[in-house]
Amino acid sequence: MGEVQRIFYIHVSSAWTAFLGYFLVFLGSVGYLWKHSPGADHLAQAGGEVGFVFCSAVLVTGPLWAKPVWGIWWTWDARLTLTFVLWLLFVSYLMLRRYVSSPGRAETLAAVVGIIGFVDVPIDYMAIRWWRTQHPQPVVAGGEGSGLDPHMWVALLVTWGAFLCLFTYLLRQRLWLAEARRQLSVIRRASSVRAAED
Amino acid sequence: MPNKYLFLAFSALWAIFFLYAWSLSRRQAHLRKELEELKNKQGLRSQGSGVRSQRSEG
Repeated sequence: MGEVQRIFYIHVSSAWTAFLGYFLVFLGSVGYLWKHSPGADHLAQAGGEVGFVFCSAVLVTGPLWAKPVWGIWWTWDARLTLTFVLWLLFVSYLMLRRYVSSPGRAETLAAVVGIIGFVDVPIDYMAIRWWRTQHPQPVVAGGEGSGLDPHMWVALLVTWGAFLCLFTYLLRQRLWLAEARRQLSVIRRASSVRAAED
Repeated sequence: MPNKYLFLAFSALWAIFFLYAWSLSRRQAHLRKELEELKNKQGLRSQGSGVRSQRSEG
């Protein structure tokens, strides 16, 4: 495969990190529906947005790897299609949050979509184990006959570690944004009440 | 260029991360500005009400 094989490290690490993002959407959504806490909702929102970024990275690096190796940019096999569906789920989740403006309703609707959408993640992960696909069979946790060279393991884990650091940083920044927005709306409401009293 | 796909993949990855970080920092700066404006407005209002109460006491 030559040098182009190095795309593997960023492609796989992006995919695992995107799955983590959607897992946070799921956790935050369950937490919000259960306790109605703004913190859980912010976690889901931030996980959805940062996860979307990493899922986009998967869909961009994948075709750039597929073209020189398979000779085609894209094919509608199970893994690729399910990853594209996951990306669309991220998009619809974020659009829902943006365009449903009534407070309370937007968060509840987003939480329901987030939980239903999470079903795609394990199916996407298992797709190359359940069906014959153009996408390669699993080299990580793939059973007998699969596996990675130890040097490749080191490179993969270092890349994923770096991606996790970036994910954590972006997530924290996005959480700050969500919390600041909430505080701003509380201050605005309080000041409009005070102005009405004056 | 034998590794053009590798180059393109890494470039695209950097571009995606950079664009998102830039959009986050823009939104944060906008929000900080809004918060400052609101705080200033509230500060002026509380100063105004302070002056009013001093006058009524006098």
